[in-house]
Amino acid sequence: MGQKRRGNIRSPVSTPSDTHSSSEIPPDKNSSSTSSCHGYLQSGKHSICMVSDFFYPNMGGVESHIYQLSQCLIERGHKVVIVTHAYGERRGVRYLTNGLKVYYLPLQVMYNQSTATTCFHSLPLLRCVFVRERITVVHAHSSFSSMAHDALFHAKTMGLNTMFTDHSLFGFADLSSVLTNKLLTVSLCDTNHIVCVSYTSKENTVLRAALDPYIVSVIPNAVDPTDFTPDPGRRDDNKITIVVVSRLVYRKGIDLLGGIIPELCAKYPDLCFLIGGEGPKRLVLEEVREKYQLHERVRLLGALDHKDVRDVLVQGHIFLNTSLTEAFCMAIVEGASCGLQVVSTRVGGIPEVLPDELVTLCEPTVSSLCDGLEKVITRQREGKVPPPAAIHRQVQHLYTWRNVAERTEKVYDQACRQPVLPLPARLRRLRSHCGAVAGSIFSFVAVINFLFLLFLQWLYPSHLIDVAMDATGPGSHWGHGFGKEESKYTDAVRHDVADRRRFKCKK
Amino acid sequence: MAEQEEFTDINGNPIQFSCQDFSPFCREFTVSSSKLSLLRVLMFTCTVWLLAYTGFYLTQNTAVLSAAIMVTLLGMLLHIHFVKVDHETLLIVGSLGVQLSSAYASGRESTTFIEMSRIKDIVINEAIHMQRIIYYLCILLKDHTEPDGVSSVVPLFQSSKPRLNCLVQVYRSCQEIIGQTP
Repeated sequence: MGQKRRGNIRSPVSTPSDTHSSSEIPPDKNSSSTSSCHGYLQSGKHSICMVSDFFYPNMGGVESHIYQLSQCLIERGHKVVIVTHAYGERRGVRYLTNGLKVYYLPLQVMYNQSTATTCFHSLPLLRCVFVRERITVVHAHSSFSSMAHDALFHAKTMGLNTMFTDHSLFGFADLSSVLTNKLLTVSLCDTNHIVCVSYTSKENTVLRAALDPYIVSVIPNAVDPTDFTPDPGRRDDNKITIVVVSRLVYRKGIDLLGGIIPELCAKYPDLCFLIGGEGPKRLVLEEVREKYQLHERVRLLGALDHKDVRDVLVQGHIFLNTSLTEAFCMAIVEGASCGLQVVSTRVGGIPEVLPDELVTLCEPTVSSLCDGLEKVITRQREGKVPPPAAIHRQVQHLYTWRNVAERTEKVYDQACRQPVLPLPARLRRLRSHCGAVAGSIFSFVAVINFLFLLFLQWLYPSHLIDVAMDATGPGSHWGHGFGKEESKYTDAVRHDVADRRRFKCKK
Repeated sequence: MAEQEEFTDINGNPIQFSCQDFSPFCREFTVSSSKLSLLRVLMFTCTVWLLAYTGFYLTQNTAVLSAAIMVTLLGMLLHIHFVKVDHETLLIVGSLGVQLSSAYASGRESTTFIEMSRIKDIVINEAIHMQRIIYYLCILLKDHTEPDGVSSVVPLFQSSKPRLNCLVQVYRSCQEIIGQTP
């Protein structure tokens, strides 16, 4: 059973014929799904469907990226819906702030919050969402999310424009990355546009998926600078505190952290560590703490809510990031925004993120990180570091979500001007880009998917799917007396006047 | 009774929708779905009998055939008695309550009444149903422990499943009546 919101229904209903009536754009092959988007194309606005396995209540970079980007796109007048899989009891349709609609589809979760993929089973539900929301652009996020790849595949079959944002870096050497890279090649070879979060990530994605670099854009992530403001009063200036906020997993270099802690603690008696986050590598840190008797000086805070992160950050002087691989590190921007000195490993896209005077970059080894930290500790002791407020001022305009949304909008415009490949061209592209074996297999899958779509169009014709009322976008109904008793009454009266004629029924 | 607009259910089968105005505070909505079609009954019977004859041919046991007769009869009885709903009625009386009744093909009727003090609101909601996402009308019941909470949801027109245009009409006139009662 879905959410019990009612505001979306209370407002007057626009009949779907409003938008169907115009026909300036010649309908293409799968016109049932695309003919309905003319209203959007004419107004210059898009109807965007963000698809990813990762969304709230799960926490992380991708999740907040999708949420913030969607909010800023709504602010710019686009219609946005989010599709993800059901999280426990949270399934059905929900509304978030400003009428952001989220579909939690009941698909089976397989591994690490990623859904199982068969390439077909999600088509009925995704088609229903695309048709009823009159989607024009499908924007998939994260290469770890199989649902995102499925959605790209189905969207291309249905003739919709597609976009993909890659949030992570991959290797090339081991078997699992070879396989994932092949799948990514297949998935991205006929996607209209791809977005990466940093130039390093772009290079990586272009190489992995054998793409034309011209269809890959770079749009960095952003932080909300008002959430991360410095508060020098909160920190204890008698000692120096190093803050680490990350998931405690191998990728984040927690083993390096386990080597740094005893070395520096032995050298500096007034040094403290404050570590926020949870994960399998917590054991490493607990072991170190136990072995060197550092219980007062190394505090493990466990899992943090996003709203608590700032409160932890402002307690420290130095922010340490030990990631081994990172496409774009949001954490160091958050740290700098709170006015901390940032020490980080020089990996992936991290060198692109902050100007040199705000960050100390080290090699991902214990000795190099210790050197870097010592340098910063000395500077901190001598009072040679700029005040937190100055750092915050410098960072706050670097990465904002509004800017990200503006740039993403341009990419949507560009993607929408490109043609969606019809099936024969798509099969040719698959076979020429993805090698003989994988190309043939996935051409076959694409054909089956197309036949399945035809079957679904026969079983549940598109004209039987009710067009959903828009909570966001040009025809938005959100906020029309939402949740207020008084306006509920006036609304009722208005409907009364409008509908009296229709409801005159004989006894 | 008098309705110009054509209504269908979510599968595209035509349904009849009628609205009776007894007084400004009392209204009755009836949604009638199409009658049990002879073709479908024949199809069901044929399938069962074909299966039964295959079973009989393989086993040479007449019990299979008698079982098939029982299955056909019982299946039909149960279907018209518990599954096939001919029409569903929603009677809303301002300040008193809402009565829901559904008449099965066999003539059996089941009726429930919800008093107005338990009703928080009537809304149109979205749900995922059988690989589709549909709109349905439902009554929100008040939660007595929490002032703003909703204790449960009672779906309306569950077996006929009308489409959104029909639901919106019912919704608006229900809101009109609920809006008038303090």
